[in-house]
Amino acid sequence: MGTKATRKDFYMEIRKSPGRFLSILFIVALGVAFFSGIRSSEPSMRITGDAYLDDSSLMDIKAVSTMGITEDDIAAIEEVEGVWRAEGAYSADFLTNTDEEQYALHVMSLGDEMNMAEVTEGRLPEKVGECLADDRMGYEVGDKIVLLSGTDDPVSDTLKTEELTVVGTGSSACYISLNRGSTTIGTGSINGFLVVPENTFDLDVYTEVYVQVEGAADLTAFTDAYDEKIEAVIDRIEGITDERSEARRQDIIDEANEELEDARTELAEGKAEAEAELADAAQKIADGESQIQEARAEIEDGKKKIADAKSTLNSKQKELDSAKSEYYSGMQQLRNGKAAYEQGLAEFEAGRPEAEAKIQEGEAALAQGREQLDQGWASYYELLDAIKSLEAILEGAGNQPNPEPVEPEQPGEPDPVAPDQSNQEQLETVRAGQNRTGEQTGQPGQSADLQAQLEVLKSQAAAAKQELDAAEQEYSEQNAALEAARQQFQSAKQQLTGTKVMLDANESVLQQAYEQIQSGQSQIDSGWKELKSQETTLLSGEQELEAKTQELEDAKADYEEGKKEAEEEIADGEQKIADAEAELEDLDLPKWYVYDRSTLPELNGYGENADRMRAIGQVFPVIFFLVAALISLTSMTRMVEEQRIEIGTMKALGYSKRAIAGKYLGYALLATVGGSVIGVLIGEKLLPYIIIYAYGIIYPHVTHILVPYNWTYAAIASGAAIACTTVATFGACYRELGAQPAVLMRPPAPKKGKRVFLERIGIIWKHLNFSWKSTIRNLMRYKKRFFMTIFGIGGCMALMIVGFGLRDSIFEIADIQYKELQIYDGSIYLQEDLTEEDKNDLQAFLEKDKDVDRFMDAYMKNVTLTNGKKERATYECVLGTPEEAEQYVHFRDRKTKETYELSDHGVIISEKTAKLLDVKIGDTIYIKDEETGNKEVKIENICENYMGHYIYFTPVYYEEVFGEEPEYNSIFFAVDDSYSKKELEDVGKEILAEDEVLSVSYMHDIEKQLNDMLKSLNLVIVVLIISAGMLAFVVLYNLNNINITERQRELATLKVLGFYDPEVAAYVYRENILLTFIGAAVGVVFGKFLHLFVIQTVEVDAAMFGRTINLPSYIYSLLFTLAFSMIVNGVMFFKLRKIDMVESLKSIE
Amino acid sequence: MSGFVSLEDVKKIYRMGEVEIMAAAGIDFQIHKGEFAVVVGPSGAGKTTVLNILGGMDTASEGKVLVDGQDIASYSQKQLTAYRRDDIGFVFQFYNLIPNLTALENVELALQICKDPMDARAVLEEVGLGERLDNFPAQLSGGEQQRVSIARALAKNPKLLLCDEPTGALDYNTGKSILKLLQDTCRNKGMTVILITHNSAIAPMADRVIKIKNGKVADIIENKHPVPVETIEW
Repeated sequence: MGTKATRKDFYMEIRKSPGRFLSILFIVALGVAFFSGIRSSEPSMRITGDAYLDDSSLMDIKAVSTMGITEDDIAAIEEVEGVWRAEGAYSADFLTNTDEEQYALHVMSLGDEMNMAEVTEGRLPEKVGECLADDRMGYEVGDKIVLLSGTDDPVSDTLKTEELTVVGTGSSACYISLNRGSTTIGTGSINGFLVVPENTFDLDVYTEVYVQVEGAADLTAFTDAYDEKIEAVIDRIEGITDERSEARRQDIIDEANEELEDARTELAEGKAEAEAELADAAQKIADGESQIQEARAEIEDGKKKIADAKSTLNSKQKELDSAKSEYYSGMQQLRNGKAAYEQGLAEFEAGRPEAEAKIQEGEAALAQGREQLDQGWASYYELLDAIKSLEAILEGAGNQPNPEPVEPEQPGEPDPVAPDQSNQEQLETVRAGQNRTGEQTGQPGQSADLQAQLEVLKSQAAAAKQELDAAEQEYSEQNAALEAARQQFQSAKQQLTGTKVMLDANESVLQQAYEQIQSGQSQIDSGWKELKSQETTLLSGEQELEAKTQELEDAKADYEEGKKEAEEEIADGEQKIADAEAELEDLDLPKWYVYDRSTLPELNGYGENADRMRAIGQVFPVIFFLVAALISLTSMTRMVEEQRIEIGTMKALGYSKRAIAGKYLGYALLATVGGSVIGVLIGEKLLPYIIIYAYGIIYPHVTHILVPYNWTYAAIASGAAIACTTVATFGACYRELGAQPAVLMRPPAPKKGKRVFLERIGIIWKHLNFSWKSTIRNLMRYKKRFFMTIFGIGGCMALMIVGFGLRDSIFEIADIQYKELQIYDGSIYLQEDLTEEDKNDLQAFLEKDKDVDRFMDAYMKNVTLTNGKKERATYECVLGTPEEAEQYVHFRDRKTKETYELSDHGVIISEKTAKLLDVKIGDTIYIKDEETGNKEVKIENICENYMGHYIYFTPVYYEEVFGEEPEYNSIFFAVDDSYSKKELEDVGKEILAEDEVLSVSYMHDIEKQLNDMLKSLNLVIVVLIISAGMLAFVVLYNLNNINITERQRELATLKVLGFYDPEVAAYVYRENILLTFIGAAVGVVFGKFLHLFVIQTVEVDAAMFGRTINLPSYIYSLLFTLAFSMIVNGVMFFKLRKIDMVESLKSIE
Repeated sequence: MSGFVSLEDVKKIYRMGEVEIMAAAGIDFQIHKGEFAVVVGPSGAGKTTVLNILGGMDTASEGKVLVDGQDIASYSQKQLTAYRRDDIGFVFQFYNLIPNLTALENVELALQICKDPMDARAVLEEVGLGERLDNFPAQLSGGEQQRVSIARALAKNPKLLLCDEPTGALDYNTGKSILKLLQDTCRNKGMTVILITHNSAIAPMADRVIKIKNGKVADIIENKHPVPVETIEW
């Protein structure tokens, strides 16, 4: 550059006006920093993400097959061109219960080379039963996790153990963000992952294969280059999958055939066995039957025997009875006999003294008779002497009376034995005899009288003798009679004794007989008893027999049934085998699915976030940059114009145009290059770092932030800045330099005053005070400045509105979503496999619970919606009672606020879902169902929704689509609006205490979660707002500066005219304020559009951000803009004060 | 020695780093009320310094400046502004009109801060611009612009009318008519007018001529019979 003088002038220029130089430098730095910083955030994000993924050696491709993956498959994949290495792995989803909740866990095998887990605490699992748990799950080292399958299959089908011990916690690159993906068990979403050693799995084949592509690690993930490379390899892998499928199918067929063979043999065996068993059973039944037959005969026999025995017993009884009656009659007789004996004895005893007396008397009489007789006999003899012949006769009569008195004494002691009839009779006779004897012995004296008359009476003697003889006879008779009586007595006694003996004998006989009878009776009784027992035995035997018969019948029926069953089973088995054969015949090829990394949850989201950053980078910094560039070029133009005279002088002195322009170009270049360098150096490091750091909230494990310089953006930004400024400077110089030096040194023609449009509206104009009139005219006069300022302020305002608006849009969604759209307070998730009864119990409980204001059954499930190639994971939600739906979910149009009702003819889907699937009302979409085929549903309405994706059904329509009733698995509930958060949670706790309830979730929790997530963008927004604010400041400062310098003379004049400083300032400020407001108004409009654009590009797929900017945001932005304006004006005030009034005296430059 | 305007040993020293430049090295003069005074001298003699000090645009380093009995040399900035506002009417060499205000508005600009203003239209009519009230400065000739400037100064009804080379940027005839206007104003209204010029030719029209040379008053000529402007030629 030219001469020493020009160089000196150049440096002096900078030193003299450091404000201008620095302001250009700073604004360029700001513009370049913002532009290159925000733009390079995107590649930096990708690089950071890529580094993270490469560090954990994340697979590039994941392939799964419906029938598992074999070692051969892996070997085959490794052969594929472009594949660096492949590794088989296992994974499966399980549930686990904690005290409060049920979690779904994704259990995956620890890779050798790929998908490394990063340990945060503890260590990696080494043996079966150990695991590394997800950081997010909150497990601690040493915790035990018991897994549940969540299906009918036991855990042991997949794993060797159900219980895992946490030996470490950590993260996995498979889960870059907070989302853990979805599953088919539990609530449908996975809460966390577990990493276990490979041998924990008990599976024959791998569930998946991970593939890394050659050279892919060198490429940056999330870039097209990477994607293309992977795509190509995926295509090639897909190319061999048919072959692999075939091979796998063959394997399966072979295996199945083997199994089928086994099954056939088994069936045959089974058949034989069944037959044998059946035959056996038949045999047994036959045996049983004959046994029963026999038993029956036996029983019959027994019965007969019993009957016989009975009749025998009866006859015996009869005999016994007759014996008994005999015995009784005998007894009676005995008793009679006894009585008779008693009587006889009594009589005898009574009669005995008399009889004894009589006998005595008889003896006495006999003795007397004897005497008399003897006398008679003596007389007789005396006579006989005379009659001797008569004495012989008298002698004969003398022996008879002697035994008489003895006999009756003998039966003196009567026996108490029962009398016998015959004895009685004998006794009677004896008695009678006795009596008679007694009577006979009463007349012994008669013979003695006869004796005396003998001789004389020889005849007499003879007669006497006769008489004597007769008397002797009589005496003898008497004696005999007495003897007889005695004998009789004796015999009576004897008889009595005999009777007694007899009675006694009889009695003993009777006793004996009685005993005999007794024993007979007891024999009979025991006979009966035995008979009875025999009978019972028989009866039980009979019963048994009946039972046996029944059993036999049953057995027969069983047999029949068994036979049938066996036949059926066999038939079934045969059918199955046939089926299996048939199935095998047309066994589908296993399906292979080859995925890139996008199959990992939210991994794509990272790339999308980078894309979003790029989208922001495409608009935001450009505007920013434009403002900055405009300001710097205006400053430079202004500078050139200000130095018109100097230029003229230089030119007049003969300096070349190049040399003159060189100063300004150099000035501009130095300021812009300096600014660019500073901007690039700081901006490209700081902004991406802040942004990636902010995203760390969503990607907590991506902690190693890489922010390399991105020279492309640096070059673009710097180049543009430099070009803008230098070209503008050059243009200005060129214009000035074109003129003659004389013209340059003369003051430029004064600018024309112009009437402005507003003057034509008399009413307004007349009412404007003078200052305002001049202000308005002034504004119009400096059109360039006017538009520049408006553009600058408008741009800043717009940026700030976008910043605040983003906050609104993002933070508002939680509010709208959970206060206006989904207006229930929480969801109750039910235990699985609840019976109707359980559900009714819970219903009753909820109805009774006074705290629960309302509740409704709902069915929630994760599904995938498809429309052509577009897919979207969505919550399928069936509302139990659609007519009450509006108390839980508001379906409405976002713009018109028109409300919809759920109908039985179609679904309502959320707005974002519809947008992503590119469908509209009336279109048909599909719910993906790999098992039974996709289900077609018709979209009846599209509703406003911000968080998540929903597809709403009525139960009726659900049934129509799925062919089955929805199994309500959750309950939406709400409490009274006046309840605090705490009170709500208390209510929830009560509900959770019910057995049927699996978990309770609150909307405010989700709201909070959401807000937490969105905080990441908050920082980005703060960056935006601060940058916009800084820009606003610089812009205003510059423009004001220009304004003041341009109008220095005017202001000086005002001062001379006696305007106080504040009045002078007000004169300027009025314009500034007006400009600020106009700029702000423009900014509002501009900002609104920019906001809409930015929102749409920034939006994550999972959510729809609000489209509205709240009033406070406008106010904040305005206040900020005003504040900056005020600060700038404040700074300007001092500058204004410094304006020298002498300026007004100078000639016009 | 008492005049309406009285400068007593007024000095003005500018310090430029180490160097001291004495712009006014003890100026003394008095001007009576209603006089048409001309301060004349070559460039760099200190005329402008005098004008600045009198106009309250600058303060004297030393000495007294009495205007209507008040020592404005001791005024604060604020007092000076009030002084400019209420007591001084200033006519600039380059008119210093606000370009985007009409003639009338330019006068009104001054009036709106004034305590006892005259009617802007009347003043403009007086200066002969009754027809051009709504014209912008760019639509006016130099003389017309200067008339507006004078009207602006007069409308304030000042105690003192200060004119800095009012004809400097004007052609001869126009300059003359402006001088006439000033002279007439002085005569008709009893306005004290101080005119600063390097053109000594116009001195005869003044009541008092103050010649300044090298920062000092070289001479003061009291013209008992000033001539009308028309008769002056230069």
